[in-house]
Amino acid sequence: MNLLFRAAAIAAVLHITPAVVLVKRPDAVLALLPGAEAYFAREVHLSNSDAHRLHLAVDWSPEDGVLTFYGGKTGSTVVGSLEFVRVDTPHGPIEVAVGFTPDGTVRGVIVTKATVEMKPWVLDAVGAGLGDRYRGLKPGDRPAGAAAIAGRAGNLAEYIAGEVDKGVARALAAYGTFYKPAKT
Amino acid sequence: MLYDLRRADARIKWLVTCLLATFGLSYVFGALMVALYAGFTPKRVAATYAGREMSMTMPPETTMTVEHPMSMAEFARPEVHAVDTDLLIQDTHVHVPMYGIFAAALSLVVVGLSLPRGRAFGLITLLFAAPWLDFAGMWLTKFASPRFAIVTLIGGWAMGAGYLVVAALAVQQMWFSRERS
Repeated sequence: MNLLFRAAAIAAVLHITPAVVLVKRPDAVLALLPGAEAYFAREVHLSNSDAHRLHLAVDWSPEDGVLTFYGGKTGSTVVGSLEFVRVDTPHGPIEVAVGFTPDGTVRGVIVTKATVEMKPWVLDAVGAGLGDRYRGLKPGDRPAGAAAIAGRAGNLAEYIAGEVDKGVARALAAYGTFYKPAKT
Repeated sequence: MLYDLRRADARIKWLVTCLLATFGLSYVFGALMVALYAGFTPKRVAATYAGREMSMTMPPETTMTVEHPMSMAEFARPEVHAVDTDLLIQDTHVHVPMYGIFAAALSLVVVGLSLPRGRAFGLITLLFAAPWLDFAGMWLTKFASPRFAIVTLIGGWAMGAGYLVVAALAVQQMWFSRERS
């Protein structure tokens, strides 16, 4: 019986709560690709060796081996691109939108999805300025949002910022290695 | 048999009733969650679990890029909640122990009911088989064929049916049976 209660307690603790949309994708697109009048999706189907390289770099493989970048244009001028990256945490998945300027630096980061449980942690982290900490990063840089908000938000906000760091690191690695700017 | 819910102390009956009511509440919200994220039709369940993986071709020999225009409406289109392999591993890891606890608790109620042994064995088997079917259906849908989505639906309905049968029998025998003490 003791085992039964322990198993119930563990299962209850580990139970993943439903996902909630924090920022709708169109709103994230408008914020991260400002002024764009037309959009395009660029799907990069990774070969085995490239997928392995990415996995070694950031311990991550995109779903189905396909990286999807979304770009925005005004006329023939590219205003930037963005990726939606999912990070699986022990508390469920979060989705991070990472936007890039045309010169390849991070324009902004928005957490678009989390679980019911993690939502207040994300809001706490964002309230402590997490989104601003990634601006200007370029491929090869190491995101350090969690360290930046340490002491300015709760422990769980700091924890979730670490997960957002992972998402940003993945986006930077994918962008730096596989995104070739569109011709303008 | 010593353990007979019809003749149990009123406090035990109340405990079992509260347990069943709590399970019932969680089942109702479980069904709502299924409606939100997976659906009750084989097509929607297949879309959730099979996803693109069923139609996935082998990775190309060299990395390939495909580009197509997107409209804002496409960004706004409701997404099919897709459960990929990683998430299904996580879901299985956290749900199956909980389902086991539910089945065990309901089976303990079954043992206290006045039922022919065969029916009790059948009911206990149903309570444990239902979550197995539920998750077997998800895995088979992902890796064998989207047609196995029906197995997940059968498992889900079997869980609901098993709960309803146990709850109805328990409430009837504990509170409305002539033989109750």
